[in-house]
Amino acid sequence: MLYTRYEADQALMNTGTKKLMFGALIAIMLSIPLGVLPGMKFLAEADWLRLLSMVAIFGIGALGLNVLTGMAGQVSLGHAFFMGVGAYTAAWLGAAPGPLLGIGLPMWIWLPAAGIVAAVIGVVVGPTAVRVRGLYLAFVTLGLVFVGEYLWRNWDTISGGSQAGRDFPGFAFRLWKEEAPLIDFSSPGPWFGIELSSQAKTYYFLAALLIVAVVLVKNLQRTRVGRAFQSIRDRDIAAEIMGVNDFKYKLVAFGISSFYAGVAGALFAGFVGRMIPETWGLFLSVQMIAIILIGGAGVVTGTILGSVFVIVLPRIVEDFTGWLAGVARSGSGVSAGLADIFVSTGSGDFGFVNIAAGTAPGLSTAQLNQILYGLLIIGFLIFEPLGLYGIWLRIRNYWKGWPFTY
Amino acid sequence: MKAKSKWMAILLVLGLIIAACGDGGGEDDTTTTAAPAVDTTEAPTETTEAPTETTEGEMAEIATDVGVDLDAGTISVGLLSDLTGPFSPLVQVIVAGHDVYWENVNAAGGINGLEVVLNTVDTAYEVPNHVQRYEELKDEVVALGHSTGSPHTVAINNDLQADGILAIPLTWYSGWTDPEINSNLLHHGINYCVEAHNVIGYISETMDDISTIAIVTWPGDYGLDGAIGAVQAAEAAGLEIVYDGSGTVIPGDESTLTEAANAVVGSGADMVYVVTNPTDFASIFGQAIAGGYEGLWTGAGPSWNPALLGSPIAEPVAASTIWSGYYGSWSSDAPGVADAKEQVEAAGVLERPNSAILEGFVEAMIMHAALEAAYQAGDMTQAGVLAAAKSLENVDLNGLGPNETYVGDANTQLQRVSASIFQPDLEGFTSGENGGETLLVENYTSGLTADYDFTGACFVLEN
Repeated sequence: MLYTRYEADQALMNTGTKKLMFGALIAIMLSIPLGVLPGMKFLAEADWLRLLSMVAIFGIGALGLNVLTGMAGQVSLGHAFFMGVGAYTAAWLGAAPGPLLGIGLPMWIWLPAAGIVAAVIGVVVGPTAVRVRGLYLAFVTLGLVFVGEYLWRNWDTISGGSQAGRDFPGFAFRLWKEEAPLIDFSSPGPWFGIELSSQAKTYYFLAALLIVAVVLVKNLQRTRVGRAFQSIRDRDIAAEIMGVNDFKYKLVAFGISSFYAGVAGALFAGFVGRMIPETWGLFLSVQMIAIILIGGAGVVTGTILGSVFVIVLPRIVEDFTGWLAGVARSGSGVSAGLADIFVSTGSGDFGFVNIAAGTAPGLSTAQLNQILYGLLIIGFLIFEPLGLYGIWLRIRNYWKGWPFTY
Repeated sequence: MKAKSKWMAILLVLGLIIAACGDGGGEDDTTTTAAPAVDTTEAPTETTEAPTETTEGEMAEIATDVGVDLDAGTISVGLLSDLTGPFSPLVQVIVAGHDVYWENVNAAGGINGLEVVLNTVDTAYEVPNHVQRYEELKDEVVALGHSTGSPHTVAINNDLQADGILAIPLTWYSGWTDPEINSNLLHHGINYCVEAHNVIGYISETMDDISTIAIVTWPGDYGLDGAIGAVQAAEAAGLEIVYDGSGTVIPGDESTLTEAANAVVGSGADMVYVVTNPTDFASIFGQAIAGGYEGLWTGAGPSWNPALLGSPIAEPVAASTIWSGYYGSWSSDAPGVADAKEQVEAAGVLERPNSAILEGFVEAMIMHAALEAAYQAGDMTQAGVLAAAKSLENVDLNGLGPNETYVGDANTQLQRVSASIFQPDLEGFTSGENGGETLLVENYTSGLTADYDFTGACFVLEN
């Protein structure tokens, strides 16, 4: 690429294709709830919109983890702790006053505050990263998750108590505690003249936040801070020698990552509505790690791909198994026979996956999901360390020089 | 960085955001003006007036919206189940009970010619999954045959009320009798709080050598509801609480199991009331027995699983525990139980008899009554089924459980009858003859329970 101006060289999207792709992606994201895209009409249904909203929420959280682990190279298993901090800050500030802690402030206060409080705690935890690295840092951050679990379980007034939980503030734009919000996401109604369901409105809100987060993180990569992160990731001692303040930038990395985690946690809790304190546990951290590993560490596109993959996979596995069961039941033919080997419709019928709950043999689709999850993480780490983004790179590079791809 | 250039950087970042959003907005305008309005809200209510070829002339007048297809002749009922989580052994058997019951009902003609089709989904006992699955089901089914987990059901309760859908909670939390919460929920069976009154009442009435009690429970609605009931019952029966471990056993944290077991041994109580799941109960029981404890064990129904009679602690468990059942026992002689046993054996879904399958029958029978009432009223929309269910008075479960009523004030609706109190039967279990239960008493209400005045849930789930 020949650049004739410095700005062009440093631009966020330095090729025309990137701008085009970004624009097309935004267009697709915005038109999904309207059900106008051929072949993707089913995405406009309420349950798929909820899945996509969840993709956006986990995408925001995973972007934070990507900044910390992918860009700055600090392994962290403690993301769930910061998400919990963000969620309970949001609850304290945003939930209506009642038997549990809550002040009832509007969303424009509690959402950023959730991020800021989590960031402050992240900065407090940061100095440990200066002392230890790699596996040991992973242990330290893992300890954070358990500290958090204990804290939420026992701090009844903010979490509602173990196994009981509490309600979290939903999404609505209010100026200050008034009854009727300015923009209400919880009831269907027209926006700009288009009738939208509440799931569609929530999806738009979360998609907008995701776009903002993506742009911010993508921009971070080309700033001084971002370059400092990458040098620390590559060799932190060498970076220190070159004059990159190791201590300061590790703190900044933890701070930024925890901010995203806090915001994602507040959004997650507000989206589901009610959470028990056990939610902010190790499995949530592992899910976040899985997203960035499967998608591609250090790459923003990879995070989004990973988030889509991880959140939508269980649904696809179920739909696929259900379809297979339908094929198996339809009776005759080679495809029905093959499907029947794979799927078991009840006790006595052999199959790897069993769609009739409670009867043997075979795995339930949920168990199949869990196994696939683990297999995918292992598989990607071994065969494609760059994750889904790496697969995309290979496809792109193949076609770049086609038909002379040798 | 110097202060001035730092502020420039912040302004530039803000400008970048606005630019990016502006681009997105531009795309938005160009695409949405061409887009037709698509209604993604719930399915509209249609009154079907199809001239069906069935013999029931009334079919043409039944109103339906979601979940009931008069042309195809199907009614869709959803089940939000825990098939892979902490209560999966219990819930899998309950779901099998639903399957068997509806299979037989459909074979006998269904509900006036309409077949009931079950849509079972797995929530793994996690609240976000539960909410997500509910969103998936609410546009496909006419009602929820069961919803596993108290905080999970509370999480969807507001949505149930907003969407006007009926659900049967698969939990026995005392709050389901509270009229401020239960407008869309059908409680069934005695609740954890009153169950403790019954069981502890029975033990203190029939056994003379019990004077002290230890309480060991999970936290949360399930554990603390039972714990509060146990404390109330102990005080009423004059038992001294020598160890109150309410809410101290944390699911998934094994150190708390050891602590509980040690505390029980150290307290030397005559009896222990346990509200956990069977795995945790087995661990506490085993460790306490190993520590030399010899008292009587009892607790809430879900703490027991007859499969424990096939484990290494089978003999001590059979000798020193007593349990109560919300639904009828496999060993009962009631005609409904005999019918159910026949159907279960014919379907061959169980490897060995398990009374928990009767809970599935009970839930399905209540849903059956609601659907039938809705059919008779000519309104099988989601709202119609809900209204019909809430008008059911004295649903006869044919001996599978005490009758239920959903009309009247909370004290009238409150279920005060424990369907059975039993002792585990090791021989019956190993021979496969019964569900591993020797009945001590059926349809029991203790003195304390009979006088109990319901003023609200024992354990209040805050929001």
